[in-house]
Amino acid sequence: GSKLASTPADNYYLARRRTLQVVVSSLLTEAGFESAEKAAVETLTEMLQSYISEIGRSAKSYCEHTARTQPTLSDIVVTLVEMGFNVETLPAYAKRSQRMVITAPPVTNQPVTPKALTAGQNKPHPSHIPGHFPEFPDPHTYIKTPTYREPVSDYQVLREKAASQRRDVERALTRFMAKTGETQSLFKDDVSTFPLIAARPFTVPYLTALLPSELEMQQMEETDSSEQDDQTDTENLPLHMSTDDSGPEKENASVLQQNNSLSGSRNGEENLIDNPYLRPVKKPKIRRKK
Amino acid sequence: MNRKKGDKGFESPRPYKLTHQVVCINNINFQRKSVVGYVELTIFPTVANLNRIKLNSKQCRIYRVRVNDLEAAFIYNDPTLEVCHHESKQRNLNYFSNAYAAAVSAVDPDAGNGELCIKVPSELWKHVDELKVLKVHINFSLDQPKGGLHFVVPNMEGSMAERGAHVFSCGYQNSTRFWFPCVDSYSELCTWKLEYTVDAAMVAVSNGDLVETVYTHDMRKKTFHYMLTIPTAASNISLAIGPFEILVDPYMHEVTHFCLPQLLPLLKHTTSYLHEVFEFYEEILTCRYPYSCFKTVFIDEAYVEVAAYASMSIFSTNLLHSAMIIDETPLTRRCLAQALAQQFFGCFISRMSWSDEWVLKGISGYIYGLWMKKTFGVNEYRHWIKQELDQIVAYELKTGGVLLHPIFGGGKEKDNPASHLHFSIKHPHTLSWEYYTMFQCKAHLVMRLIENRISMEFMLQVFNKLLSLASTASSQKFQSHMWSQMLVSTSGFLKSISNVSGKDIQPLIKQWVDQSGVVKFYGSFAFNRKRNVLELEIKQDYTSPGTQKYVGPLKVTVQELDGSFNHTLQIEENSLKHDIPCHSKSRRNKKKKIPLMNGEEVDMDLSAMDADSPLLWIRIDPDMSVLRKVEFEQADFMWQYQLRYERDVVAQEEAILALEKFPTPASRLALTDILEQEQCFYRVRMMACFCLAKIANSMVSTWTGPPAMKSLFTRMFCCKTCPNIVKTNNFMNFQSYFLQKTMPVAMALLRDVHNLCPKEVLMFILDLIKYNDNRKNKFSDNYYRAELIDALANSVTPAVSVNNEVRTLDNLNPDVRLILEEITRFLNMEKLLPSYRHTITVSCLKAIRVLQKNGHVPSDPALFKSYAEYGHFVDVRIAALEAVVDYTKVDRSYEELQWLLTMVQNDPVPYIRHKILDMLTKNPPFTKNMESPLCNEALVDQLWKLMNSGTSHDWRLRCGAVDLYFTLFGLSRPSCLPLPELGLVLNLKEKKAVLNPTIIPESVANNQEPVNNTNNHGQLVGFQNTFSNSQEEEEIDMDTVHDSQAFIYHHLNMLERPSTPGKEQSSGEVNMHPVSAAPLSVFSKESNSSKHSDHHHHHHHEHKKKKKKHKHKHKHKHKHDNKEKEKDPFAFSNSPASARSIRSPSLSD
Repeated sequence: GSKLASTPADNYYLARRRTLQVVVSSLLTEAGFESAEKAAVETLTEMLQSYISEIGRSAKSYCEHTARTQPTLSDIVVTLVEMGFNVETLPAYAKRSQRMVITAPPVTNQPVTPKALTAGQNKPHPSHIPGHFPEFPDPHTYIKTPTYREPVSDYQVLREKAASQRRDVERALTRFMAKTGETQSLFKDDVSTFPLIAARPFTVPYLTALLPSELEMQQMEETDSSEQDDQTDTENLPLHMSTDDSGPEKENASVLQQNNSLSGSRNGEENLIDNPYLRPVKKPKIRRKK
Repeated sequence: MNRKKGDKGFESPRPYKLTHQVVCINNINFQRKSVVGYVELTIFPTVANLNRIKLNSKQCRIYRVRVNDLEAAFIYNDPTLEVCHHESKQRNLNYFSNAYAAAVSAVDPDAGNGELCIKVPSELWKHVDELKVLKVHINFSLDQPKGGLHFVVPNMEGSMAERGAHVFSCGYQNSTRFWFPCVDSYSELCTWKLEYTVDAAMVAVSNGDLVETVYTHDMRKKTFHYMLTIPTAASNISLAIGPFEILVDPYMHEVTHFCLPQLLPLLKHTTSYLHEVFEFYEEILTCRYPYSCFKTVFIDEAYVEVAAYASMSIFSTNLLHSAMIIDETPLTRRCLAQALAQQFFGCFISRMSWSDEWVLKGISGYIYGLWMKKTFGVNEYRHWIKQELDQIVAYELKTGGVLLHPIFGGGKEKDNPASHLHFSIKHPHTLSWEYYTMFQCKAHLVMRLIENRISMEFMLQVFNKLLSLASTASSQKFQSHMWSQMLVSTSGFLKSISNVSGKDIQPLIKQWVDQSGVVKFYGSFAFNRKRNVLELEIKQDYTSPGTQKYVGPLKVTVQELDGSFNHTLQIEENSLKHDIPCHSKSRRNKKKKIPLMNGEEVDMDLSAMDADSPLLWIRIDPDMSVLRKVEFEQADFMWQYQLRYERDVVAQEEAILALEKFPTPASRLALTDILEQEQCFYRVRMMACFCLAKIANSMVSTWTGPPAMKSLFTRMFCCKTCPNIVKTNNFMNFQSYFLQKTMPVAMALLRDVHNLCPKEVLMFILDLIKYNDNRKNKFSDNYYRAELIDALANSVTPAVSVNNEVRTLDNLNPDVRLILEEITRFLNMEKLLPSYRHTITVSCLKAIRVLQKNGHVPSDPALFKSYAEYGHFVDVRIAALEAVVDYTKVDRSYEELQWLLTMVQNDPVPYIRHKILDMLTKNPPFTKNMESPLCNEALVDQLWKLMNSGTSHDWRLRCGAVDLYFTLFGLSRPSCLPLPELGLVLNLKEKKAVLNPTIIPESVANNQEPVNNTNNHGQLVGFQNTFSNSQEEEEIDMDTVHDSQAFIYHHLNMLERPSTPGKEQSSGEVNMHPVSAAPLSVFSKESNSSKHSDHHHHHHHEHKKKKKKHKHKHKHKHKHDNKEKEKDPFAFSNSPASARSIRSPSLSD
């Protein structure tokens, strides 16, 4: 069954098909048929359509092969020759006497291919490009458009941001901890506004209290590498109010050097340091029993 | 007592001389917290008829005593276990203090006494008469010691070494007797052999040289052998055992440092400075460090931060720090330097008697001060001296005086030189801890005064002389009589000073050492224009308690227009006025620069001063060469000049203090200028902050411009482009770091006309917290953040409360809400990223208490109680406990007071126990003149029991309990006690009780009833001296005299052989229980002790069931309220000393 055409494109194709059917029918009449089954007509129409389509397709290929966009008569001829059609018989056939004249297919609108979304004005060709060349594509397909805002370089805003970011992270984190664990509260009637993570005793309390946290260690490494010189200088300086007595300090320096050489040698042989706590533990002597 | 005999020699209070002692601890059980070992003392009798040897021993369970391999009888009596025995209804502190002093005296090694009395077996009498050597061998054990040795055993999985379990000796003054029997005196020196067998994963650190370390046969343990060849007092012997990490000092290989696992990086950093201290002391003393090695051990739950012992020091592990920590660094270095100073004076050189203690503390404190001056500069040193001076002055004025060199005549309480105090100063063990701290403070200040008099050069020569004498003596290995050269005495020291300097310092000594009290000067002046004379009036208050009259020279410095001039006035009996001629005519030449004391010439704006007078400022005793308090009156502009132009930091601090009373724009300007001046000493600038805050508050109605210090802070520490944001932290400059920390704290004290902290200031502080950024800083900002929280707390003002509504969230002040928000976040973040020493938690807890106290948050101790639990870091616990103490006071909570007192008794950490009492004393829930619902009979009983018997294992704690009792109830009978109903009867009883300790000091012991302490160190034997006193005879405590036959036997025995002549002979005689030579091996093993006690019970019952039962029934009536104490009457039979009671019958048979 045939479907009811609805779109303009369908109408267009239907009209052409109907014309082809008329052509097939008239050719059949010419050949002496009085009637034909519908299926046969349909098949023949299909064959004709295929044939014509093939001619078009081949002709287009030939023309493109020769770097053109529009097929010429010779393209059609070559196509027909290639398809095994004797071209020379064509003028005579066209002028046969019993041919029937068929009305042109009804004028229907060429189906419009939906336009791609255009963004902005397409650029005209520069003068050195021939006008037949395809147009520039839409600008958005090749022009870089900034997708970020201007970087914030204002110190104040940066600090503001860093501060609030840190505060938010801390608050969220501590609230989460408070929500998931035991809490204490300063108000009997309210446990959620100022939730305090419950105090939990440690087994070895001094470790957490004295050792720097990993974060701090990391920080220290970072700052150390960049400011190593400063460190050695300032370590003692601000605490030494009087720097003028250089006597003992000089001595210290010499002692330091001496000891450096000592400690240097230590790396090689630990045993050079005669410290009783570093000596190996002795095996028990065999003692007579008491 | 013995010092006065002669200046040259030291006369031992003992009839023998100790030359060598072996201490061998062969088993330490961390699980059970027990120790097993023996000691062997080598002694030479110095009198022919030596028949008993008194030694010190507390807590130790003594299994067996042998003298030269012969079994010896011994008795063990410690009257300090329970000071007052008869149920004293009077309960007054006077009575207690006397009894306590008598009890301490009765076992005082410096009086030749001791808790342990060993009878020399009769077989050896002949030997003794020839003054031949005796070897006293004592097997002992310690079970769960409550003092002397402290075990730290974390409750977790793993072996003891993995857990970081450790043990160390500790105590206040001579406390070695708590962990092994010895002569626990600073004056009995001997050489030592120390042996400790410990788990192979552990290290035992002790005194002297580690000779060798040997595995035991099973290879599971090793034995550390130490030799200490320098004669040393038992009180300077120490021990620390734990799975320590070992660090050999890279600069001095003889020095070894020890710390607990995981802390090695901190140890490296912390001790990296120590060699400089060594060098300094060796240089100024021109003397090498006396010992061949030095060890530092850092341990947890320390009794004190620094404890110095022969060739080793024990420090709190909390002194360790990393390179990121600023504030702790100088503090820790000071502790190290203090410990090292005490190595020379205190450990190597010991003292003859308690009354010479001030010399040692004085010298070590003095050379420590010299180190401070060199290390931290003159400003810091002078600031410190001023601080110490202020402290001692305040303490003496409060309590009535600190006496450095007490001399006791005959030991009668009436001659007590410190009758103004509620404790006896005759013994270190009866001394309040605060008094002792102040005593040390005064000692070094007096040394400085001596230096002022004889010059530092001579002073150091004296020290050098003492040290070289001692080191010569110490090398005399076999001449123990020479060893007394290693003991310093007051007279010896003074003689040395007069020999070296040729100066007579006797008046100075008389004033500050032999006498207590400080001087209180009031000064004012007038300028007499006509005569061009400064009329200075100096008055003294010498009638108030704690003061004394000063007669002698006094330096006054007058800064005039033409320069600074020193005048020495003679302060005499009746002259108050002193005329000082001025050098300058009143100002003529305005342009001239003004010369200062240090030679500097400066331009001054002289418009503020009085046109008629050439005086800029006046200072009395600028060098602090008198222990004094000066209240001096001069005009505000003079103080301002003094602050701006006087270069001495002490003068600047005095000026700042004085300016508080002059809230004027000129004062404000002077302070602001000082604050901004970078050359100015940072502590002065910090002080100026607080003064400025006070002035601003007084000037609140006329104050113009932004809040004080705000623009200054902004200029110094905030970004140039955005002044409301603080720069990212950079603490490289420590002076500005300290200022940056302090300014917000001071600013938060500002108040507006409504007496509220200005909103602007609060927002400013909140912004500092908000924008604080430490990412680029190489130092930790934990102290800075903590102080910002302190600042928040300072900004809190009392809540406006409408008819006492209950505090809820809804009526929370919006400012307080902001503060709480910060505190909550900080406190919670501490759980995730803890700060060094949890400084932030500490500040948060304090701030919360402030909010509670001001009525913004409901007052509730629950939070603090959870932070006060064992297992939190000690600083946090103290802060939490302080809040609970404060709550107890403000809310008058009996429950909380009970909770605190329970903790005093049960907390595992001695320092915490001590600190709670200390805090309760400083912030008492009530005082003696106050009505309080808390003050009731039960509390009196409880505290009485605490000091009477509950704290016998820790001198410091007991004295702390005494202090608290004094604060709460005063010296006399607590007012809350009901009046005695049968006054007459009770009085009689009391009379006797009072009399006893005074007339016969040891009768306290005589009247002793069995004390059943919770642990097993109550071994008591009542001892009676003679049969003469019939009344006392009736009172013979039969439960302790196990067998009357044996008792009589011994007395006969005693009579046969007269007791050793001694000064204390008259007072107490000891009855002896000779011990049969029966095999005792059973008792020397711990595992058998329970068996033994069962066994023992049996005998016990048979012998004295009747009497004892009777007696105890009687006691029940008295003490029905006292369940804890009332134990099984035979509980003590489990005590070690009772081992002998099994044997006594067999002997008497």
